[in-house]
Amino acid sequence: MQGNELKERIRESLTGLIESSDELRDLDQALGDGDLGITVSAGSNAVIAAIEQLPSDATPADIARASAKAFANANPSTMAALVAGALLAGSKVWADVTEVGVENAHAFAEAAAASIAQRGKTQVGDKTILDGLAAAVDALAGQTEADEALDAAILAASNAVENTKNLQSRRGRASWLQERSIGIADPGATAFLRFLESWKSSAPVVAE
Amino acid sequence: MRKIINAPDAFVDEFVEGILLAHPDLVKTPGEDLRVLVRADAPTTGRVGIVTGGGSGHLPLFKGYVGKGLCSGVAIGNVFSSPSSEQIHEATKAVDGGAGVLYLYGNYGGDVFNFDLAADLAELDGIETRTVLGCDDVASQPKERASDRRGVAGIIFAYKAAGAAADRGDTLQRVAEIAEDVVQHTATMGIGLAPTILPTTGQPSFVLPEGEMEVGIGIHGEPGIRRGALETADEIAGHLVEALIADLGLASGARVAVLVNGLGATPLEELYVLYRKTHQLLEAKGITIAKNYIGEYATSLEMAGASISLLDLNDERLALLEAPAKSPFFQEG
Repeated sequence: MQGNELKERIRESLTGLIESSDELRDLDQALGDGDLGITVSAGSNAVIAAIEQLPSDATPADIARASAKAFANANPSTMAALVAGALLAGSKVWADVTEVGVENAHAFAEAAAASIAQRGKTQVGDKTILDGLAAAVDALAGQTEADEALDAAILAASNAVENTKNLQSRRGRASWLQERSIGIADPGATAFLRFLESWKSSAPVVAE
Repeated sequence: MRKIINAPDAFVDEFVEGILLAHPDLVKTPGEDLRVLVRADAPTTGRVGIVTGGGSGHLPLFKGYVGKGLCSGVAIGNVFSSPSSEQIHEATKAVDGGAGVLYLYGNYGGDVFNFDLAADLAELDGIETRTVLGCDDVASQPKERASDRRGVAGIIFAYKAAGAAADRGDTLQRVAEIAEDVVQHTATMGIGLAPTILPTTGQPSFVLPEGEMEVGIGIHGEPGIRRGALETADEIAGHLVEALIADLGLASGARVAVLVNGLGATPLEELYVLYRKTHQLLEAKGITIAKNYIGEYATSLEMAGASISLLDLNDERLALLEAPAKSPFFQEG
């Protein structure tokens, strides 16, 4: 996938993701401060606007950087800063990439997950976005075919989100709820899953 | 709520405008955004830039320490809220003189996220950054977790020392080491007597029953280590000084700088009553006060209360404190 196709897929999938913002707001109201809906909707709109401004020869790394800056500034929440840092970390492993394949997607997601773990001082099982992301990284490892890789990542992230319902939040405001956080899916991990699902449904239909 | 404000949402922009109108010789905005202030002479080619930042409501912290021999730029958030990474990034670009930029600010989660992200953005621009966090509030964490402590009034010692080092042409590595060294030798503890009312919500920052005080309070009204009946000034000074001496491990023969800081609504007279006992206690322990600062250096809007900070001095730290400096709210020499 080259720069222009990547831009189009991001635009399509974020447009789809915005439709999940009410669900994410409600989940986050139950566990955090409820600003995840606005972080996702304002952030997605800002990314869509920012990549529109990029020249047609923008590289995948340029696109990731522009997306990071736009997402961070739209609604400067902790989640926005974490996601933006993750996108910038991913953009570094794409320094020389002109065409994004499954392996590049895996490397990007791996760097993004490492950034979130480090900046958020968090690990898998803390009931955060990292639970969904790390599961997807594992699922992408060794994959070669794009559609299969995406399906595997969605399945893994979906299982991880389901599993967060059994966990107690250990990071951020949600951790103040202690055992009362059990039973509710993590909003951040859910947001990541909705993004992957939206990415899949934004795929251009291939004529038979 | 009785405050001298216009629209609550315009509060921050309007006081920044006031500072710019009052001190055009000292500070400027590099772009359109009023939330980014830099030294009037920024960038200084070949000199390390120092960017600080944080929520509003703490004047003179943080924006009051932008000037000669101090910080080079500041990113300004809403009341008690972090500035955005973009604002920090704008400040970084505006003060970069080619020798790198030190991020020096208080240890609060939102600020750390946004400064770290700004550091990523600076790296993409080829600007080297280093980060040192103010973490001097001894009441917020025990000594063994000192790096997790909140940053409060004592950060001004780090501003002063790092600013002097940057102005004399030290490298980024050296300026960061000096800032870190000062942070590690600084301890602060405060007491709160009455909350501030937040301009946007009209709500108090904490609730304290009549006749009580909060010992170890943070500069956003965070709870301290205990709540109890209000004591005399001498008793308060006794508790705070004892905790600070123990934390820094000061013994007879030590030299210190003392900062007695008002949190916004406490009169200077009361601060001098606190200083009186602080001075006597230190002297009785054989500790020399080489520098003193008494007044409002880091406030919490109109919160009532005070904090005491000590910096354990050596010759180098003292020389850096005594170097000339000038900002809208601070002058040395």
